[in-house]
Amino acid sequence: MELEKLVKVEIITSMAKIEALRLQLGKFGVSGMTVYEAKGCGVQLGTQEFESEKKKAPTLLDKQVVMMVLLEKDLNDFLSFVEKELYTGHIGDGKIFISPIMNVIRVRTGEEGEAALLEGEL
Amino acid sequence: MEEKKLGLGSTVATGVGLIVATSCLLSLGVGASTVGIPFIIAMFVCCMLNLITAFSVSELNAMMPNLTGGLAQYSLAGVGPFLTIIVMVGGYLVCNTICGSAECAMFGNTLSTVFAGAGIPSQVYCTVLLVVLILANLNGIDMFAKIQDFVAYALVASLLIMGLIGCFEWGNGQVVHQSTVISGNPKDIFSLCGLAFFLFLGCEYVVPISKQVKNARRNVPLGMVLSLLLVFLMQAVMVIGFSHYTPWEALAQSSTPHVLYGSLLLGKAGTIWMVLVSVLAVTSTVNTAIASLGLIMSGMAKIKLLPSVFMKTNKKGAPYVGILSIGGIMILINLTGLSTTDELSFLILTGCVFWMMAYIISHLNVLILRRRLPKAPRTFRVPLSPVLPMIGIVGTVWMLYNIDSNLDVKLRIYKLSIGIFLLLAVYGAIWIKKVMKRPLFKPFQIKEVMAMEHELYQKYHK
Repeated sequence: MELEKLVKVEIITSMAKIEALRLQLGKFGVSGMTVYEAKGCGVQLGTQEFESEKKKAPTLLDKQVVMMVLLEKDLNDFLSFVEKELYTGHIGDGKIFISPIMNVIRVRTGEEGEAALLEGEL
Repeated sequence: MEEKKLGLGSTVATGVGLIVATSCLLSLGVGASTVGIPFIIAMFVCCMLNLITAFSVSELNAMMPNLTGGLAQYSLAGVGPFLTIIVMVGGYLVCNTICGSAECAMFGNTLSTVFAGAGIPSQVYCTVLLVVLILANLNGIDMFAKIQDFVAYALVASLLIMGLIGCFEWGNGQVVHQSTVISGNPKDIFSLCGLAFFLFLGCEYVVPISKQVKNARRNVPLGMVLSLLLVFLMQAVMVIGFSHYTPWEALAQSSTPHVLYGSLLLGKAGTIWMVLVSVLAVTSTVNTAIASLGLIMSGMAKIKLLPSVFMKTNKKGAPYVGILSIGGIMILINLTGLSTTDELSFLILTGCVFWMMAYIISHLNVLILRRRLPKAPRTFRVPLSPVLPMIGIVGTVWMLYNIDSNLDVKLRIYKLSIGIFLLLAVYGAIWIKKVMKRPLFKPFQIKEVMAMEHELYQKYHK
């Protein structure tokens, strides 16, 4: 049987938004996620939106990365949902990286693909 | 993080607040006495047109949420500073300060008529009301909302109950047997759209308080839509009530048709009730105008369209310079007697030209930003865009064309509007070139407008 196509979504956003996003993702029905703290900057090199001069050297700001794997067919709905949740119109709302995943294996049962992401009977 | 204090109830109360004014009750009587019940058709068309405006403003609010004042910022990002100054100063600050003053004058006249024996001049009543509302609004958004919730819902409930009593002929007055339709000619009905449009102006006054609204993504659009529908229902019921208790000729001649209706419906009790409704309508309109215009001025100062002094807030977070300025000018207009001159209604109509221009620009902003940022996430989207915003533009232009049924008055309004436009254009051009030092027509980037909201922005950009 052919496995459903999977994608990895990594959302980089500011610390302030992560808690609201976590709660909303639960409501959306996301079955698992990994969150890790990070430091980084985007095209503004860490310049705050209110500052008048753009920084010359990159300043690393506190960020969080939310990583999750989902079925490709659910991707568009998921992205639309996350974009609206993160949107404030301000610089620093975040970026979303999407990449293909070849396979997922649940170590305990050996289930693969979609089955490894869902709550199974095994 | 700033605590959000206002729920959906307060949002609807604010929307209803500015829409239902004493002058609207007068317009309702004029419209109903011209064509009878079919005036509801003109009201429905205008309600729908204002719903489209509410949709456009909601989409702009979704793209640029949590801004102080709000309305000026959308236009700054859409069409640039020049047109923003013209419509915001002409359509909101000047127009609504005059409208608020006229409302106060009606309040003073009503009370001085009711308490004729007391010998107190009407200006005293106006000034007392304005001072009370200024002091209340200086106590912050909480106090504004408490007053607004009480006043707006008491107003809506009163008019709905009085309307329903008339609809079902439950009043103790004499039921009038007359034709409910004076004219069913579409030309006659739709020529009243210009008048009916004024019954629904102002639902966007929800936006300036949106920063303090809980779950603003849902409550701001919903609040605007509900307030328009509520006002339509209430006024439609009143028109049917009029047809059962007030002879059309008497309604046409009355300067206070709602009071006439109240007295013919319930006698002395009805008169007193409708006088109270007048007081509630004025309080609701002026309270909303003072609170929202203060916030709009503060927002305009943040984007440098007004001097920075308007950004100052007191310990309760109230933009006190704007509140005192707007309230102070209203007191001045009332004390000098300007608010009772014959030319005032003409001036209000002229101000409304700029107000309607602001609506047209809101629809334009939606179309421009859809083109510029087609993929930006929007928690609210105008349905059927670009068709609905374009209908909104064409419809509002048509309302401008029908602003008055008298051709001479209409031409005078247009001439004065052009004069005021030129004055505002000179002021705007000088301000933008000398103070802002920016091109007149180049829109600001949304990220820049959003950044200007930050409290540290002014510190870094002196």
